[in-house]
Amino acid sequence: MKEAFQMLSDPRFHLLYGVTQRFGMGPEPRRVRLNREGFKLVEGVAKKVMVYPRMRLAVHPSPLKGDAFAPIFGRITDITERSIFVDAVEPDDDLRQAAHEAKQQKTDLLTLTEQGRDLAVILKGLGLNTRSLGQDCETLIINALNPDPGVTWAEPMLLSHADNLKVALEVLRRLSPARDIILAVPSAMRLQRHDVTVVGVPAQYPASVNALVIKAVTGRENPEGVGIVGLHNLWSLGQVACTGLPLIETVVTIGSLRHSGNYIVKEGSTIGELLDFANIQLKSGDTLVRGGPLRGESLDKLDRSVTKGSTGVFVVEAGTIPPMEGHSPCINCGACTLICPARLTPSMLSRYAEFALHERNRAEHIECCLECGLCGYVCLARRPVLQYIRLSKHKLGLSGAEAPLQELKPRAKSIDAASAAEGGK
Amino acid sequence: MSGSTSVLLAMSAPPYWHCGRTIRQTSLYMLVGLAPAIVMAVWNWGLPALRVMALCVSTAVAVEALCQRAMGRDCSVDDFTAVVTGLLLAFLLPAAAPWWLVMLAATVAITLGKMAFGGLGANPVNTPLVGWAVLFVSFPLFMDPNAMQLTTDFTDPLTRLKYFGAEAVADISLMDLLLGQQIGGLGASQAGALLLGGSFLALRGIIRWQIALGFFLGAMAPAALCFMVDPSLNASPFFHLCTGSIILGGFFLITETANAPVRPLPMFLYGLIGGGLTFIIRKYGIYVDGVPFAVLLANMLTPFLDMIRPKPFGGR
Repeated sequence: MKEAFQMLSDPRFHLLYGVTQRFGMGPEPRRVRLNREGFKLVEGVAKKVMVYPRMRLAVHPSPLKGDAFAPIFGRITDITERSIFVDAVEPDDDLRQAAHEAKQQKTDLLTLTEQGRDLAVILKGLGLNTRSLGQDCETLIINALNPDPGVTWAEPMLLSHADNLKVALEVLRRLSPARDIILAVPSAMRLQRHDVTVVGVPAQYPASVNALVIKAVTGRENPEGVGIVGLHNLWSLGQVACTGLPLIETVVTIGSLRHSGNYIVKEGSTIGELLDFANIQLKSGDTLVRGGPLRGESLDKLDRSVTKGSTGVFVVEAGTIPPMEGHSPCINCGACTLICPARLTPSMLSRYAEFALHERNRAEHIECCLECGLCGYVCLARRPVLQYIRLSKHKLGLSGAEAPLQELKPRAKSIDAASAAEGGK
Repeated sequence: MSGSTSVLLAMSAPPYWHCGRTIRQTSLYMLVGLAPAIVMAVWNWGLPALRVMALCVSTAVAVEALCQRAMGRDCSVDDFTAVVTGLLLAFLLPAAAPWWLVMLAATVAITLGKMAFGGLGANPVNTPLVGWAVLFVSFPLFMDPNAMQLTTDFTDPLTRLKYFGAEAVADISLMDLLLGQQIGGLGASQAGALLLGGSFLALRGIIRWQIALGFFLGAMAPAALCFMVDPSLNASPFFHLCTGSIILGGFFLITETANAPVRPLPMFLYGLIGGGLTFIIRKYGIYVDGVPFAVLLANMLTPFLDMIRPKPFGGR
């Protein structure tokens, strides 16, 4: 109904794009910037050290967070609290030899007998984040919709990279404690698989928001014992299972108004190099977005990089949308309330946040917000509605609480405590 | 990165895409929706109608600019909301209204109906109707189109209905009413043109169709009921629809989003109440039209109707 009356006439919101091309390889980076927040450096990793692809650089104390690996031949130029910088260099023979040896040490995940938590530890050593893949639940739903409008890698992952998906599902069955694993795909896709239960769900954004996918599959809102994991995570698992090597790449959609493409890029590639590679020219006043165009984050510099979880890199050209001006009071038009999939009143939420009346937002059920971003998309006054809601949630200490199911409770507490202590040193 | 290091990026808050609709664009859409009625008003009433509309719009814009300057705010008359307000107010006035009446109405509407509450969207009741209501109770004779329009061949169907009964209006053709060949507010009486423009806006989602539908149902259903019971005493529902300012009210006045409920069911009920009140005022009240007062009353129910709300996602 909403679509019929032009609330969402944007065709990009139909998350089925008919893109099935296999992913192209991204550029070989000249410089990478790896996230190391919370990571502990491996012994011997310091400034000016030469590195080779898949060399372990840092380990995270959490058993759910994958280790950090060098994606390229290079020299570490700087190590800060938050990042490790590596500049590409032409490798000498020693480095080539080391890289060759690293490539021989394959882990054949399919023949391993480990299951559940033991398998998760092995996957951590291969650079995989297993928080959502191995979460404790009865039913695990794989959200195989493109997460945001404009992101187009979901269909190729399902159709063109089916070998990867098959292997990933096999490993997932041993990793996940869930009894049922369900693949949620757009119903218009008519996908059939014999190795997993496939359920068709609507594909009009915000249908890809996790809570709404769960509702579409189970028919209930926030049911107990149901977990959800993104297809992007599953692809990473499949990539590791196929190669047997640590994960040093990720799939991103690089898009602008005219261009859009999916690439397998090295982790830590800088946004500037990716845009150059995709032949996207930036002008002053453009907005650079990491993640999806509705829920991503705006970046200030081109030397920011993509990480394992990045779903895309988008350029929103100046002039293609009405600019956000500072002072923009709510005009009570109610468009946000009409569009809100969580049936909230974003106009009130944002106004309470604007005037620092955060406690009143509790009575407005701010914790039910799914953060889909549609309130800001339809706002006539161009208010940063989602930003206000996130601010209020943060102030109320709810920022992490909307996804309590995604917490994997460690069964053996001692391991967690030991590794945490190790990281703290 | 070559050559792009000098680029200055704009930081923003999510979402980075936007539907493209702004306050200004919505106002322009409203003006497009009102355009057929402007044309028909000039067609039927000639230059006097144009005079009233121009005077009303320019006064509204000027008063808003002055208010914003006095309040120390940024001037935002370029969003065209004052133009829409001025035009809607002019539509309710007789084409022969004296200049001071028009300017006074526009001034009261903008100051008392809008800026006193803090500007666009903060007003509790419909802005043009505040101006209309104040003037209507202060200068009932000057605001009455039937008393002001002396040099015309048209008749006032609602006055006839009120004082001469349903049989006196039985011979008025619906086509004449749709073409605006009736005495009434200069734009409000252009029923056919308003129906056209209003339907366009409803289809584009600029105005909420639930409210408009509720309003027309609320006004026409009891009218139809009465008409079925005794056609000799009551006018047909289509007569009611095309007279007075029902179409203007249903599409353009009661739908002003700032004072309407925001969820579909409350919106429909709100329209229904507005329409029902209109019919009650017409049939049993002392006013011939009833739409403006019905809309003002319905506006005041909005906070209560907004209490009808569904449980939030996952709420128990």
